[in-house]
Amino acid sequence: MPVITSSFTEYAIFIVLLPMLAFPVILFLGRLFNGNETWVKSAKEGGLIALPIMVASFILSLILIVEFIGSGTGSYYIGDWLNFGWIGADGMTIEEQVFGVGIYIDHVTVMLLFVASFLCMLINIFSIGYMNTDPVNDNRNHRFYAEFVLFCSGMLGMVLADSFLWLFIFWELMGLCSYLLIGFYYEKPSAAYAAKKAFLTTRVGDVFLVIGLVMLWNLFGSLDYSVVFNPDNIALVDAGELQMALGMMFIGAVGKSAQFPLHVWLPDAMEGPTPVSALIHAATMVNAGLYLVARMFPFFGAPAMAGELVDLAFIIAAIGGITAVMAAAIAFVQDDLKKVLAYSTMSQLAYIFTGLGCALYLANTLDWHNDTKEHAIVVVAFGAALFHLFNHAMAKGMLFMASGSVIHEMHHAHHDVHHHDDHDEHGDDHHDDHHDEFDAQSMENMGGLASKMPITATAMLVGSASIMGLPLIGGFWSKEGIIANTWRVAREEPLFWFPAFCVLLGAAMTGFYMSRMWLKTFAGKPKTEVAANVHENTPWIPIPLVTLTFVSLSSVILAGLMFTHWSSDSSYAFFSEKGLIDGLIYEFEHIFLNSDAFFFVLTYVVIFIGAIVGPGLAMALYGGALKEGEKAKGWMQPIINLSARVNEKRGFDNSAWADSSLSVALKERLYFDKWYDTAMLKIVAGFAVLSATFDRKVIDGTIKTIERSSQKISLSVRKLTTGSARDYIMMAALGVLVIYAMLEVML
Amino acid sequence: MIDPAWVSVLSALLFTIGLWGAFTRKNAIVVLMCLELILNAANLQFVAAAIQHGDANGWVYAIFAIAIAASEVAIGLAIFLAMYGQHESISLDDVNLLKH
Repeated sequence: MPVITSSFTEYAIFIVLLPMLAFPVILFLGRLFNGNETWVKSAKEGGLIALPIMVASFILSLILIVEFIGSGTGSYYIGDWLNFGWIGADGMTIEEQVFGVGIYIDHVTVMLLFVASFLCMLINIFSIGYMNTDPVNDNRNHRFYAEFVLFCSGMLGMVLADSFLWLFIFWELMGLCSYLLIGFYYEKPSAAYAAKKAFLTTRVGDVFLVIGLVMLWNLFGSLDYSVVFNPDNIALVDAGELQMALGMMFIGAVGKSAQFPLHVWLPDAMEGPTPVSALIHAATMVNAGLYLVARMFPFFGAPAMAGELVDLAFIIAAIGGITAVMAAAIAFVQDDLKKVLAYSTMSQLAYIFTGLGCALYLANTLDWHNDTKEHAIVVVAFGAALFHLFNHAMAKGMLFMASGSVIHEMHHAHHDVHHHDDHDEHGDDHHDDHHDEFDAQSMENMGGLASKMPITATAMLVGSASIMGLPLIGGFWSKEGIIANTWRVAREEPLFWFPAFCVLLGAAMTGFYMSRMWLKTFAGKPKTEVAANVHENTPWIPIPLVTLTFVSLSSVILAGLMFTHWSSDSSYAFFSEKGLIDGLIYEFEHIFLNSDAFFFVLTYVVIFIGAIVGPGLAMALYGGALKEGEKAKGWMQPIINLSARVNEKRGFDNSAWADSSLSVALKERLYFDKWYDTAMLKIVAGFAVLSATFDRKVIDGTIKTIERSSQKISLSVRKLTTGSARDYIMMAALGVLVIYAMLEVML
Repeated sequence: MIDPAWVSVLSALLFTIGLWGAFTRKNAIVVLMCLELILNAANLQFVAAAIQHGDANGWVYAIFAIAIAASEVAIGLAIFLAMYGQHESISLDDVNLLKH
C-alpha cells in the first residue's frame, strides 16, 4: 500500500507522545505544588496543563484526517524497535526478527482517532468543572489528570499503531489506567474491589488475546499490518488456524468491551469518578474491543478465505445478541443512574458487535471484490457498525457527562440542605464525605429536574433519543443499518435469526429503559427535598454537553454525506458524486421508502417498537407533570406533558413485579458475580492449598533431608577422632601403606 | 661376609616388631624405643643395600639417619617431659583431650 509521502505523518506520532509526556510532568508538578493556592486555582491541579495538550492532540488529529482524505490509506514507518535473531531449527542459520514502530492510517483509524481525540478533549473540559468543584477531590486531582492523560495517549496510540503488537501494548496501557482511575477513591473498599475486578476480568480476555497474537505471528511471521493484511500472504495461511487465532483475539475483545461472559466488571467500574466512566467506559476504552474486531475485516474480506471464517462471524454476532438482550433486561431494574448507563453501554456495544459480525459474515460469503452490488452491501454493513460506534461514543459520552452533572448538582443540593439544617451544630464547614447515607446517584431521590437543569436535561434527552434510535436523531441512522443488515443475513443463513431477534427485542427494551431513566430523573415531581433544591450552576460542565448535543443532532448531515459508505471504504469520496442534498434524499428514501418490501416493513416495525411502544410503556409507569408553577424549556415541556397524560390514562401499578423472581435475579445481575466468585474461590483456593502443601512437603522436605543426612554422616566420621595417640600412629602407618600400594599399582 | 639378603630379613623383622610395639604399647618411652627400632631397621636396610650394590651412598644415608634419629629422640623426650608436667603420667591413654 502506498506510503504517505507528505511530511505531516512524521509529526503524527506527537498525537500520542504529547499526552504521554504530559503524564510525568503533571504528576511531578502535582506532588511538588500540592496544596499551593495558585496550583489549585489557576492550573486546576493539572487540569489546565492537560487541556492544551488534549486540544493539541485533537488539532493534530484533525490535520491528519484532512491529509488522509486527500491521500488515502497509508502507513509511515518510524523505525525499528526490537531487533533480534536466533538460531534456526537446523542449528546453523540465524533467523532475524524485527519489531518496528510505525503509524498506520486508514478509514477505521481516522474515525476512531476523531472520536477518541474529540471526546478526550471534551471530557477534559468536563472534568475541570466536575472534579475541581468537589471538595472530596482536593489535592489529589493531579493524580487524576496525570492518569487521564496517560490513558488518552494509550487510546490514541492504539488507534494509530501499525502492528498488532503495538495495538496490544497500548491496549494494556489503557487497562492499567482504567484500573488506576476506577480505584481513584482508593480509600473506599468498594472502589478498590471494583478496580481489581475490572483489571482481572479484562486480564482473562487479554490472556486469550496474547494466545491469538502468538498464533497469528506463527502463521504470518510478523504482526505488522502491512504484512498481515496482504491478501497474498493471507492466501498462504491455513483457514482453520486463522479462524482459531482470530477467535482467541475476539475473546480478548469480549473482555475489554464487557460482553457476555466477561461483562461483570463494567457495572462495578462506575465506582470511578464520572469523567472516568464517560471516557473509559463509554467512549474510548470499550471501543478498543470493537476496534480490534474491525481490524479483522481484511481477513474476512480476503478472497482466499471466502466461506471459511463464517463460524467466527456467527459467534461474534451471537455474543452481541445475547449481551444486548441481557444487559437491557438488567437495566430495567436499576435505580442507580450510572448503572443504567453502564448496562446501556454494554447493550449498545453488543449491537455494534452484532453489526460487525454480520458485516464480517457478508464480507466472507459474498463475492464483493467483483460484483458492485455486493460490494455496496458489504460496505454498508461494515459502515453501519462503525457509524453506530461513532454515534454511540458521542451520545454515551454526553449521557455520562450529563449524569455527572446531575449527580454533582444533587451532591451540592444535599450539602446545602444538610448544611442549612446543621448550621448551628457544626460550626465550621465540613467536607462532604462518601459515607453519607444519601445516595446522590439513585433515581429514587430525583425527579422533576427538567425545569431546574435545562442544559443537562436537553443533553440527556438528545443522548437518550440517539441511543434509542428515535427517527432522525443520531443513532437512528446507524441502528437501522445494523438491524437491517442483521436481518439481511438472517434471510440467507437461518442461524442468524437468533441475533436478528435479539437486536429487534433489544430495540424495544432500549426504548423502555432509556425513557424510564429520563422520566424518573427529569419528569414528575421531585421525590426528595434535595431534588427540589437543585440548581445548575457549575462552570465548564455545560460546554461539552452543548457541543455533543449538536453533534448528535447533526448526525443526519453525516448520514447525508454517505458517512456509512465512506467509513468502511474510503474509495467513496467524501462528497461522493452526489453532494449533500442528494445524499440526504438518498438516505431518506433508502430508509423510509425502501424498495424491498421486507426491509420496508422491518424499518417501520423497529421504529414502532423502539420509539413508540418502549417509551410509551415507560411514560405510563413513570411519566408525570412537574411541580405546579415550574416549566421546562420549550422542546421538553411537550414530552413531559405527554408523559403526564399517558400516566394518568394508562398508568398501572407494577410494584408487584418488583418481588418476582425474575426481578430479583435481574437485580442480582443474573447471579454472574456469585457464580464467578464461587468458581474462582474453588479453583484459586484449591490451587493455593496444593501449592502450599507442595512447598512444605516437597521443597522443604528435600532441604531437610539433605540437612539430616549430612548431619548423620558427619557424626559417624567424627568417631574416628579418638584422641588416642596410638590410634593416630596406626592411621598414619596405614595411610602410608595405602599410598605405597597405589603407587605400586600406578607404576 | 654375611649374605645381604639375611641383613634385609633382619631389618624387616625389626621393623615389624617396632611397628607392632608403636601401635600397642601404652608407655610413651616404650613407644619411643619402638620408633628407634623402626629407624634402626631402616638403617640396616640401607647398609644391606650398600653391601649388595657396592654403593658408598648407602653408608652415608645410614650415618645421616643415626644423627637425625638422635636429635629426634631428644625432642621426643622433651615433649614427654612436658606431657608429664601436665598430666602427671606418661601413659598414652591419658592424653586424649582431642577426643570428640
